[in-house]
Amino acid sequence: MSSIDAALLAAHAAGDGTAMMRLYAKAAEAAKTSDAAAFYLTHAYVFALEAGHADAPALHQRLIDAGREHPAAPPRPPKR
Amino acid sequence: MPHPVSDLSKVRQPIAQANGLPNAHYTDATVFAEERQAVLFDQWAGLGVGAEVPDIGDALPLTFLEMPLLMLRDKQGQVRVFQNICRHRGMILVDAPRKIEGAIRCPYHSWCYATDGRLVSTPHVGGPGQNTHEGIDRDLLGLIEVRSHIWMDVVYINISGTAPPFENAHADLMARWAEFDKPLFHGGADSRFTLEVNCNWKLAVENYCESYHLPWVHPALNTYSRLEDHYHIEAAGRFSGQGTWVYRQLKDEDGTVFPDFEGLDAKWDTAAEYITVYPNVLLGVHRDHTFAIVLVPHGPDRTVEHIHLYYAAEKTPDALRQRNTEQWKEVFAEDVFVVEGMQRGRHAAGFDGGRFSPVMDGPTHMFHDWVASRLEQHRSAGAADDPAHAAE
Repeated sequence: MSSIDAALLAAHAAGDGTAMMRLYAKAAEAAKTSDAAAFYLTHAYVFALEAGHADAPALHQRLIDAGREHPAAPPRPPKR
Repeated sequence: MPHPVSDLSKVRQPIAQANGLPNAHYTDATVFAEERQAVLFDQWAGLGVGAEVPDIGDALPLTFLEMPLLMLRDKQGQVRVFQNICRHRGMILVDAPRKIEGAIRCPYHSWCYATDGRLVSTPHVGGPGQNTHEGIDRDLLGLIEVRSHIWMDVVYINISGTAPPFENAHADLMARWAEFDKPLFHGGADSRFTLEVNCNWKLAVENYCESYHLPWVHPALNTYSRLEDHYHIEAAGRFSGQGTWVYRQLKDEDGTVFPDFEGLDAKWDTAAEYITVYPNVLLGVHRDHTFAIVLVPHGPDRTVEHIHLYYAAEKTPDALRQRNTEQWKEVFAEDVFVVEGMQRGRHAAGFDGGRFSPVMDGPTHMFHDWVASRLEQHRSAGAADDPAHAAE
C-alpha cells in the first residue's frame, strides 16, 4: 500500500473531507493517464463540494475543461 | 357501489344532532391511511418550526407519516423542505441533524445536491472519471421539494401540492392575528419540549379547541380564568379554538414581566387566543409570548406533540422564561389522561362517536365536520377516478 493510499484510508476513516480533497488532488497529479487523473480529480471535487471548500470552483472548472463535468445550473427558488 | 370505509353522515349534521367521528377514525389502519392523504397530505400540515434550523446549512431529517423529509435552511437563509432521498437509488441522504457546509453528498454513490435542491455532481455516472452522461439530465433530477410555507415560524407543508396557496387558505386567520405577524424569538433550549401521547392526533386537537373542560381538568387555571371568561373562535373549514378575556401575565418576585409585542391593540392587554390551524397545528397568542404545538402522528394511536415557546425579544429573563415553560408543560400534561382516556374509549364497540354540547363544543364539532368534509371530498374524487365505479 502506498503512503497516499494509507493516508486516504485514514482520512476516510476520520471523515476528514478536506484531507480527502487534498489527497485525491495529489493522487490526480501523480496519475499516469488522463482517465486516472479525472477519477481522482472527481473525488477531490466531490469532497471539496461537500465541505464547501474554497477550492471547489477551481476543481470543478478543471473537470469542465477536461469535458468531464457540467457548469452548475442557476439557484432554485423555494417551492411555496 | 363500494361500501364507504366509515359512515360520516351523522358527523356532518348540525351540532345539536351530530355525532363525533366513528371509532375507526381513531383505531383503524385503513382509515388512518385515508386520513393521511385527505386530511394531512392534501392540506397545509405543520411539520416543525424554523427555529429547529436556525443557521444557514442546518439540516434536520424528519419522518412525517413515514415519509422521510429533510428540513433545511438554504444558503440564502430560506427554510425549505425536501424528500430526504437521493434521486439515484432512493438512499436516505441525511440520517441525523447536522450542518451542510457545502453540498449534501449521498453516502452511497456520492451524488451531490446544493441546499436549494439542485443536483450538482454525479461522479462517474458516465464511467470512471466521466461525471456526465446524456441520459442524466441534472435539471430534472434535483431533490424533490415539498411545497412549504412559513407563518409565525411554523413550517407548513402541502405534500400533494394541490392545496390553495397558504396565504389564501388562511387569509382570515393571518388577518385576525396580523398584530403577531412580526419577528418571534424562540426562547431556546428551555422553551421547547415534546409530549408523547398514546392517542390519535385528532383527540389532541379536539381537546385543545374547547374551553368546556378547563374547570375540570385545569383547576388552577380556573382560579382566575373561569369558564364564562372564554369565547369560541369558529371559522368553518379553516380553524377553530377558544379565547379568554382574562389572561394574566407571569411575574417575577420583583414584578418583572416579559416584554410585550409592539403595537398590540388594547384588547390584548388581557385577552389571549388558542386556535387550531387545521389540521395539526395548535397555536396560542398572548401579549408577551406565543406558542406553537405541532402534532406529529405516529400511527392511529400515537402522537408526538412538539411544543415551542416564543417571545417578543431575543433576550428574556432566564428564570421567568423557564417558569413559563414549566407552567405550560404542567397544563399540557394535565390533558394527557384525557386524550389517552378518549383513545381507550374508542375501542368500545358500538360507541357512536359521542354527542356534543350544542353550546360548549362548537369549535370541536367544527373540526370533526372539517375532517369529515375532507374525507368526503377525497372519497368522491376517488370514486370519480375509479373506472369500475364510474361505469356503475
